[in-house]
Amino acid sequence: MTTTAKRGARRQTLLGLAFASPFIVGAAVFIVWPVLASAGYSFTDFNLFQAPKWVGLDNYAHMLQDSTFWKALWNTLFLTVTGVPLTIIISIVGAHFLNLPVRGQPLYRALVYLPTIVPVVVGGYLWRWLLNTQYGFVDYFLGLLHLPQPEWLEQPDWGKPAILLMCLWTIGGTMIIYLAAIKDVPGELYEAAELDGAGWWGRFRYITWPTISPVTLFQIIVTVIAYLQIFAQPYLLTQTRLNETSGGPGQSMISYAMYLYQNAFVFLKMGYASAMAWVLFLLTLIITLLLLWSSKKWVHYGSERD
Amino acid sequence: MESRMFRRRTALRAVALTSVAVAAVALTGCSGAGDSGPTKITFSYLWGGEEAKALEKVIADFNASQKEIKVVGVSSPDMQKQLTSMSSSNGSFDISDKTYALPIAVHTQQLMYNKDLLDKAGVQPPTTMDELAAAIKKLTVTDASGAITQIGLGNPSTSTLFTTLGYAFGGTWDGKDGKTPTPADPKNVEALDWYTKTLTDAYGADKISSFTSGLGQYMSAQDPFYTGKEAMVIDGEWQAVNIPKVAPNLNWGVVDIPAVSSDLAGSTQVSTSTLFIPNNSKHKAEAAKFLAYMVGDKPMTDFTLALGNLPSKTSLLSDSAYDAIPHFDAWLNALKSPNAKSLSSQPYSAQYSTDLGTAFDDVVRGVATPEKAMQSVADKAKSY
Repeated sequence: MTTTAKRGARRQTLLGLAFASPFIVGAAVFIVWPVLASAGYSFTDFNLFQAPKWVGLDNYAHMLQDSTFWKALWNTLFLTVTGVPLTIIISIVGAHFLNLPVRGQPLYRALVYLPTIVPVVVGGYLWRWLLNTQYGFVDYFLGLLHLPQPEWLEQPDWGKPAILLMCLWTIGGTMIIYLAAIKDVPGELYEAAELDGAGWWGRFRYITWPTISPVTLFQIIVTVIAYLQIFAQPYLLTQTRLNETSGGPGQSMISYAMYLYQNAFVFLKMGYASAMAWVLFLLTLIITLLLLWSSKKWVHYGSERD
Repeated sequence: MESRMFRRRTALRAVALTSVAVAAVALTGCSGAGDSGPTKITFSYLWGGEEAKALEKVIADFNASQKEIKVVGVSSPDMQKQLTSMSSSNGSFDISDKTYALPIAVHTQQLMYNKDLLDKAGVQPPTTMDELAAAIKKLTVTDASGAITQIGLGNPSTSTLFTTLGYAFGGTWDGKDGKTPTPADPKNVEALDWYTKTLTDAYGADKISSFTSGLGQYMSAQDPFYTGKEAMVIDGEWQAVNIPKVAPNLNWGVVDIPAVSSDLAGSTQVSTSTLFIPNNSKHKAEAAKFLAYMVGDKPMTDFTLALGNLPSKTSLLSDSAYDAIPHFDAWLNALKSPNAKSLSSQPYSAQYSTDLGTAFDDVVRGVATPEKAMQSVADKAKSY
């Protein structure tokens, strides 16, 4: 290589770095450094105003005996374990309906997707009204059907269903992705299956399900992460006054992220909050790795990679 | 017509934070503005709307009164944001290890009652806790199915009500030193037992919950006290300004919180809105001048009158300016009571009030006895 070519290559590299520098600097300052700092803070007692005090593993040890921590973790896992399968099942079933050749189908698809473009705060206030015992439509319609009318946000047993309801309301996004996946399944496979006498269940079980399984894996991972980090929905449904977080009746609606937020910004226990954030991160990582590991058994890729 | 759930369980945090910083105000100096011209200081406050307007008037008066300092007011209702913006590694709130703040406005709690409902039931405004219990019984109305249609004692904020009742029964929430959480003080438990016996046990937690879940929004025209769904309520002096505006036809009165015994007469809970200067302010001296101006007689009177809050100086309590507000004297006089108590502003206060709020809620829902609920807070308080 000539000197000029070498110089040119170096110039190219520097130029590339210069163009990428907004991201590199931004990521370093706003992502990498805070992440590392939070790891450090998790071993300290830090209230924002005074210098952090090293406390070793105290914050992590405190979690073990903090009853609200366990309550928040339990609520979050409950929401994840119920919310994720519901999301997947309803989305797949809904996607099949949205795939039916009926008049006005584009309109139905738009309607299903519509709630996802409503800002979550607006949705939150909307649902507080819908779930109101006295004036809410949910209980009104349940009453018309002679079904029990729960006090959604007042009774501990109904808080989590209320959160799930609000989350599932915005299921349109997942459903549309599934719709695209279903449309991608080669039609000749169904024809062949039909010739072999496969019913609708057989067609779904042996053709649709395996073909869309990569999409399902992606959806499960994304939804699990979303549920583990759930904040806005329970926060909005339980909010009392500005800056005040409540956990709902009997703390039935306090999520992990909400309790983390309370510790950080209400109790000003940044150290404990950082420790909680790391525990959540590790938990999310483990669950995601388990899902990826399990996927070898049930996810089928059309193009065999190896 | 927001439902009660929007404000039920309004944690005592509101109160605790009020005394820490809800109305806290920071004076951070911004720029020196050169040698000529006034020194500019920023005054951020948590008030908004009408209250912010009243405050801006005080600021304008101050700016007009002198030439050295120009105060710029900023309404910033997000307390966490405000706190964090004032944070710095050198400890913004410590001045020789003590935190100082000046109260600009204070609040007390008194028993308000609906005159028409009391007259109809033939009830005199209660003066003792036994009378209050009897009045609640007469003023709580249920229909044929046992559903409550009118309640004797309303509950705009469980936390405020229960902590106030604790004081009324002679209890304390922060120990004798004002620094130790004492939720399980036997007198506090007694107060909560009284409430449980009078309401929860008598009518059923589920019935009360169904009733409150359908109530209108606090201080709106649908406020259950304004609409006669609540016959009595323990609440603060701001109601005296709000009622003529929102519910002018309400025929109401106010008395001292009923006493358990004569030595506990005039018990009330005081909370404060405070002003402070963070340590990292660049113009502390100028900020101090403005603070001194604000707590002066006239600005304080103007401001508290506009807000319908109580002045923080006893010398102003009998100022005739407050006569214009109906029944305001009841809350003003409560400030002179030797039994006026207030929650401490300690680093643990926010967490303490959250835990108390949760425990109080358990009591209201009838899932924990007062003793058990308060003991659970005491256990948590060990790790504050």
